[in-house]
Amino acid sequence: MNAHAMSRRSLLATAAALAASQAFAPDAGAQAATRLRLYWWGGTERAERTNKTAALYTQTHPQVAIAGETVGWGDYWTRLATQAAGRNMPDLVQMDYGYIFEYARRGALLPLDAYLGKELDLSGFDAASIDGGKVDGKIYGVSLGLNSTSLVYDKQEFDRLGLPALDWPVTWEDFAKRMAEATKALKRDGTWATANAGGSGPALEVWLRGRGREMYTPDGKFGGTASDMADWFGYWQDLRASGASAPAEVQALDKSDVDTALISLGKALVSFANSNQLVGYQAVNKSKLDLAMYPAASATAKSGQYLKPSQMLSIAATTKSKEEAVKALSFFVADLEAGKLLGVERGIPASAPVRKAIAPSLDAMAARMSGYIAEIADKVSPLPPPPPRGAGEILALLVRSNETVGFKRATATAAGASFIKEATDILSRG
Amino acid sequence: MARRPLLHAGHAFLLPWFVGFFGLTLGPALASLYLSFTNYDLIQAPGWVGLANYVRILTADAKVAESVRVTLLYVVLSVPFKLGFALAVAMLLNQGMRGLPLYRALFYLPSLLGASVAIATLWRQVFSGDGLLNRVLLIFGIHGASWVSDPDTAIYTLVALSVWQFGSPMIIFLAGLRQLPRDIYEAAALDGATAWYQFWHITIPLLTPVIFFNLVVQTIDAFKAFTPAFIISGGTGGPINATLFYTLYLYQEAFGYLRMGYAAALAWLLVLAIAAVTALAFLSSRRWVHYET
Repeated sequence: MNAHAMSRRSLLATAAALAASQAFAPDAGAQAATRLRLYWWGGTERAERTNKTAALYTQTHPQVAIAGETVGWGDYWTRLATQAAGRNMPDLVQMDYGYIFEYARRGALLPLDAYLGKELDLSGFDAASIDGGKVDGKIYGVSLGLNSTSLVYDKQEFDRLGLPALDWPVTWEDFAKRMAEATKALKRDGTWATANAGGSGPALEVWLRGRGREMYTPDGKFGGTASDMADWFGYWQDLRASGASAPAEVQALDKSDVDTALISLGKALVSFANSNQLVGYQAVNKSKLDLAMYPAASATAKSGQYLKPSQMLSIAATTKSKEEAVKALSFFVADLEAGKLLGVERGIPASAPVRKAIAPSLDAMAARMSGYIAEIADKVSPLPPPPPRGAGEILALLVRSNETVGFKRATATAAGASFIKEATDILSRG
Repeated sequence: MARRPLLHAGHAFLLPWFVGFFGLTLGPALASLYLSFTNYDLIQAPGWVGLANYVRILTADAKVAESVRVTLLYVVLSVPFKLGFALAVAMLLNQGMRGLPLYRALFYLPSLLGASVAIATLWRQVFSGDGLLNRVLLIFGIHGASWVSDPDTAIYTLVALSVWQFGSPMIIFLAGLRQLPRDIYEAAALDGATAWYQFWHITIPLLTPVIFFNLVVQTIDAFKAFTPAFIISGGTGGPINATLFYTLYLYQEAFGYLRMGYAAALAWLLVLAIAAVTALAFLSSRRWVHYET
């Protein structure tokens, strides 16, 4: 059995990373006493920026060599888990909010509190940004950039059709109506106004929080009820029926990445995404895209969205050179020159001085992302409780449950009940 | 005494194989047997859980039942169709046509490419909603379904992919056909046997050892199939678990959800299942495989 699969994007990214690392590796490696491995997921753009930043660091720190390793999101966690099993984890690891708890609680990551104010300089961070990387009270990850969930939508096409922009607040009810109208106005066979987000974890979370519930309770249980889930699957079934959203067999083409999102395939105008992905989406879409907040529970309530570290940098507990790894980490998240190289490609930097330093050099798209985060700051809710072990499996369950309704294998009510039953089973297993 | 150096030389030549077998096959296999009794999560040290993994697989895991159903459907459909197709092409190529090596190579080509990621990706394009197949169908006024993303049809695209890779059993059939004694056919023809009669009463019985070999090898391969489902479903086994092969579920548990101990138990049950099916095939072979005496 051949488990090795590589997407075109990850192949490109790897090739770019290789090319870039070879550009600076020879002289750095020759005299370096410490070799650090830096591992991240992402596309070509990120690989270039990250490698340049690593090169800058090794220029000023000739005792250190940094070897970059990158793959696409699809293969990232598989490979990290395998490396962790082989006691061969990279020293510096790009970490996601959905995974940091699993890795930290299994003892795979280094707690950073002891280095704070020494090797690790987070003086430009506000408390909330530092807290985003804490697990059980200790710092295990430092934000590489702040983002939030966001609709990415084809603003140009909306304008052409004379449809109003999706400015806050658009209620879920209103969203359904406006999407149905948009599909009618569009009159294009095989294109629908919105992707069907009934299988999207972030969309469900925002919707649940609009109902005053959390996706996961502080003690690691699923926060919604069977009736919540029945309403959720029913809502998206209504959007299919009205033509507002893509049908199930079209939605099934979406493999949860930018390249296969329906907006990128020309099959939808609206995608449920993250704000920092605007750059990636725009790169594969000809039409001019814009960001908007997810729909709201009501016109007056706060949004269920929240600001979160889109990615963090963590250090493997098994690293042989703790101090050097922490110093390099500190450089990536807080150095002004590093900030200029990294830009806002991973989200808005958490360090205030870095934000200030890069502001003049932002291009239009980066400025839009930055502006979006600033606009929503007073409309969002606090960070939710951390996702428990098994949260990744719940996301897969959500996609499948939404499909059973879309392919008419189950009613929304039945899918809601079986979702809760399976989710409870998954979370009790851990 | 003179034989000793030879014996040593023999051992020396076998050494690389022994190292490979013990280090890369037997060792990991035994390790996985041990892990199947633990809750190993790839990061923390494994903890002994006794038979808990096996008990859950056999009594409480609905996804196991689903993936077994999908896998059996795949095996039962793909193996006979593939063997039938391979035999048909082998018979055609056995007509003594000119340029045989070229055709043989051409027909074998899909099997060389077959296990690759590229072909599975290509397959996904061909059978998607606005893919090649539907464009051809559209010429005849037929609006095809979105084959790979519809839970009713997704598994059949995988079966078709497997049948298309008929090269290796075809080559073996062809070799078998060329060894059949010509005089039996001549005698039958003189007695007035039709080509159809000759096929069923001479070719098939004489070919049963080859059919049996192909059947066993292809069945084992079908049980182990992984890449096509992994690529075509994007690793999810979707839509709605319609392509959740047992091996894919095993992979998800091991690397997606970090339950390596559980996955090891799943793997060992697969080994037992394949062994049982193979044993059944051998037992049944006494009734239908004819060896020349």
